[in-house]
Amino acid sequence: MSPDYTGLFQALRPETSLLFGALVALGLDLSLFRRHTSGERLNLALWIGALAVLAAGAHVWFGPHGPIFGGVLILDPLAVATRLGVLALTLLTLGVATAARTPRNPAEYVAIILFATTGFMLMAAAQQLLLAFLALELASLSLYVLAGFDKTRPESAEAALKYFLFGGMAAAFLLFGFSLIYGLTGSIELLEIARQLTLQGLSPLLVVALVMVLVAFGFKAAAAPFHLWAPDVYEGAPTPSAAFIASASKLAGFTLFARLLWPGLRAAAGNVSTLHGAPGWLPAVAVISAVSLLLGNFAALAQTNVRRLLAYSAIAHAGALLLGVIAAGRSGPAPFFFYAATYGLATVGAFGVLAVVERTGSCQKITDLAGLHRRSPLLAGCLAIFMLSLAGIPPLAGFFGKFTVFAAALQLGGLAGPAGWLAFLAIALSALALYYYLIVLKQALVAPPTANASRIVVPTLARFTLMAAAGLIVLFGVAPSLLLDLF
Amino acid sequence: MSPLQVCLLFSSALFCIGLVGALSRSNAILVLLGIELMLNAANLNFIAFWRYSPAPAVGTGVLFVIFSIAVAAAEAAVGLALVIAIYRHQKNIRLQEANRLKG
Repeated sequence: MSPDYTGLFQALRPETSLLFGALVALGLDLSLFRRHTSGERLNLALWIGALAVLAAGAHVWFGPHGPIFGGVLILDPLAVATRLGVLALTLLTLGVATAARTPRNPAEYVAIILFATTGFMLMAAAQQLLLAFLALELASLSLYVLAGFDKTRPESAEAALKYFLFGGMAAAFLLFGFSLIYGLTGSIELLEIARQLTLQGLSPLLVVALVMVLVAFGFKAAAAPFHLWAPDVYEGAPTPSAAFIASASKLAGFTLFARLLWPGLRAAAGNVSTLHGAPGWLPAVAVISAVSLLLGNFAALAQTNVRRLLAYSAIAHAGALLLGVIAAGRSGPAPFFFYAATYGLATVGAFGVLAVVERTGSCQKITDLAGLHRRSPLLAGCLAIFMLSLAGIPPLAGFFGKFTVFAAALQLGGLAGPAGWLAFLAIALSALALYYYLIVLKQALVAPPTANASRIVVPTLARFTLMAAAGLIVLFGVAPSLLLDLF
Repeated sequence: MSPLQVCLLFSSALFCIGLVGALSRSNAILVLLGIELMLNAANLNFIAFWRYSPAPAVGTGVLFVIFSIAVAAAEAAVGLALVIAIYRHQKNIRLQEANRLKG
């Protein structure tokens, strides 16, 4: 079979336009706009970035589908939906960046966001271990830099270093796991690996490989017990970076690992529908999911810092998303994709509100949000939509995300097995989660503002971004089929 | 013991040494070294599996290693840059003192 470079080029046009946008932003910033103020340079870079993202979106929408380049990339409905979701979340992140403090090197900041997006796009479509590893590393290395981008604050550097050290270890685990899978099957193509593993069954070496891959997966998803980096990064990183790490990175990571686990390692899945099911990676994922749900929800109760609260709630959401990955074998990827995408929207929005509030002073403690309804009714309203969606209140999108995931998990074997019990645990803990989201909303909507608090002026682009995110959450909550019809 | 088993034992030992080093050291650069050891253990695995596979003519394992060495280099570059960033603030690279964020 001769390699089909034309097809590859056609399929990679979205990535090409992202990289082109990044290079144009860097080039213009270094040449024509060198003497402008950093605010103007940031605006220029953000507009170029937004154009590149929109062009990439058009290329994804009208681009080719099916296996590309002999199956190295697969552009199935999940890949296309994830790519569009990642691009939308990137666009919202760029909008959040207009409100945040201007970084010292604005064009570099936007360019690295675009590089990370390129990594996410490839993660969404990779069907081969080498490409999956390279895409994951491209995205991760960009995210480490984004987390440490604010050189004036020691917290940012510390968050980035912690993120990097944990991430580097996870990458080593992933590579070691991949090497064992390659050794067992003699191939790095997921479909060939799946064929070989069906013949071989579960061997001790495969168990080691699975453990290693799951450790890396747990890190990327910020699932307990591999979550240690998440609260520190959410707290220390610049606000747009934190929004990006919490949303687009989650969506792409879950898509990559669902693809790796379900079509690739399906033969070693095991069973969690009944109590005495076969061993495999499903029971291990179920344990990680249960631990994440418990630890995330209970630790979030104790937080006084709103970003750490969002981080622990992200760990809890990772637990619920893992439940969606477990159910994906039977119900397809639509439930967990819907959950991850709407969760990403709500998180970007919440961080966007924090970024705007930060313009008037620090916004770390929950009490810093006190009296937000007086200081800016728009921000308070948007924050209410985002938080209630995270909590899963109908008619917002978060409710339908939880509903589809839990329904899919209950279909696996009803209450006869761990999957059903896990769904029940998740439902019970959702009630707990409502409590800590309402603590934040109580400060924002009920508590009076502090004496020296001034009115917050929301910049036009940030206002547009927040209203777009809130509007999408309401829209997908009322008409979830808009997203589900992509499958 | 077959040569492949020797290689796998060696790479597993290397991986464990790297992991213990990465988890126990307090100097950020030594943690970085531990991570590099772990990555190289995985590279060794790829080479061994490729060399003793039924079809060594297909260069999959070697290609994977070439790419992963490049990734490890990029990772070291980013890692050292972050170490410098933390050094600028606390004038040393001891990880125990990087504890502003907690809760």
